[in-house]
Amino acid sequence: MIDAINSSLFTPIGSDGLIGIYLILNGLKVTLIVTFFAMIMGSVLGVATTLMKMSSKWYFSWPANLYVSVIRGTPVVVQLVILYFIVLASLDVDKITAAIIAFGLNSGAYISEIIRAGIQAVDKGQMEAARSLGLSHWSTMKEVILPQAIKNILPSLGNEFIVLLKETAVIGFIGGVDLMRAGEIIRSRTFEDSVPLFTCAIIYLLLTYIFTFMLSRFETRLKQSD
Amino acid sequence: MIKINNLHKSFGDNQVLKGISEQINKGEVVSVIGPSGSGKSTFLRCINLLEQPTQGDIFIDGQSITAAGACVDKLRQKVGMVFQNFNLFPHKTVKQNIMLAPVKLGVMNQQQAGAEADRLLTLVGLKDKADAYPSSLSGGQKQRVAIARALAMKPELMLFDEPTSALDPEMVGDVLDVMKSLAEDGMTMVIVTHEMGFARDVSDRVIFMDGGYIVEQSEPEALFSKPKEARTQEFLSKVLR
Repeated sequence: MIDAINSSLFTPIGSDGLIGIYLILNGLKVTLIVTFFAMIMGSVLGVATTLMKMSSKWYFSWPANLYVSVIRGTPVVVQLVILYFIVLASLDVDKITAAIIAFGLNSGAYISEIIRAGIQAVDKGQMEAARSLGLSHWSTMKEVILPQAIKNILPSLGNEFIVLLKETAVIGFIGGVDLMRAGEIIRSRTFEDSVPLFTCAIIYLLLTYIFTFMLSRFETRLKQSD
Repeated sequence: MIKINNLHKSFGDNQVLKGISEQINKGEVVSVIGPSGSGKSTFLRCINLLEQPTQGDIFIDGQSITAAGACVDKLRQKVGMVFQNFNLFPHKTVKQNIMLAPVKLGVMNQQQAGAEADRLLTLVGLKDKADAYPSSLSGGQKQRVAIARALAMKPELMLFDEPTSALDPEMVGDVLDVMKSLAEDGMTMVIVTHEMGFARDVSDRVIFMDGGYIVEQSEPEALFSKPKEARTQEFLSKVLR
């Protein structure tokens, strides 16, 4: 066991002489960078898409609905591969940027659904009461609906970020070296399966665990205003 | 003050209001009674355009509110509404609930609105609840806050949509007392209600609706003791025992 760990993680492997743990940490860095920026891009896109979907103008709502249907109806790995090898093929875009765009686009669609559901879960009497006082649609949204919707949205949003983190494990399909891909490289060079794969799994588990913990702390703080 | 001409409202194929014409004068207290599904709530909700009429005109102070381009938000500032389910804003304190609209709409500054909220809370007997959140109030208290919230915009007309239907019986009295004192102060009020005793005591006029029409209306004494229409007699014989 110790030997296996030592040979696959702490001794130089392959022709470039890199040690396994170095590959793993570099892969982890890629995973975190892609997740973080895709999260930001997805949030911005999600809000924008929600606004467009709630619009009464068809030329706003229709493209937004199409976007959500296409993203939700196809696997993220297919979207990633199409984006990198076809859509962005003629542009000189590196793999990490392509991955950020693909995962950002993907989570934007899911986030918009989460926001929509959160807004719709607010009792419609709230809108009526605020409107009956003479408040406009937008100030009702800002003062009355969104502050209540945010409490419905946050738990699902946290969940979406955890899903996003795990889904980035398919970056290897376009040749990007993320955490999962790093594990695979070690596996192919050392013929050692258990150590690299369990190392990856444990790191993913730790990351999602830390994230869940931070999120639950944040939610408890929000609940104190009730 | 309000003039309603040939008001129709349909939800899809379901015709709820089938031609209502009515006039409500300043200072008048009008109760609307009738069985469930008779269209009385829809009628009330059309008056401040929470429901858009399918046909017909509504005038408030001579101004058409149903005409294209009418400023609905401005109209609603003049018309307060109290709902069956209170619809208080749960994330704001009682006082913030009352101050929100006057401050956001620039009718009062923070200080004036605060003073007005205190005055209204005293009026409805809940001064000690100013900083409480709605979730800690009883139904009757919530409804009195909702009345205070509507009054904060200094409306010329108050609409009440079954204000006591969701309350425990012992809470009903407090809310009705507040409404009664409003009526005595000369507020123009339209009240959809199942409280026949209250309608009889407080109203200047009672309207009986059924099947999307106004079947009969008159002074409360006359309507309750000598209803003319067979449908009114039948309804009253079931609800007054």
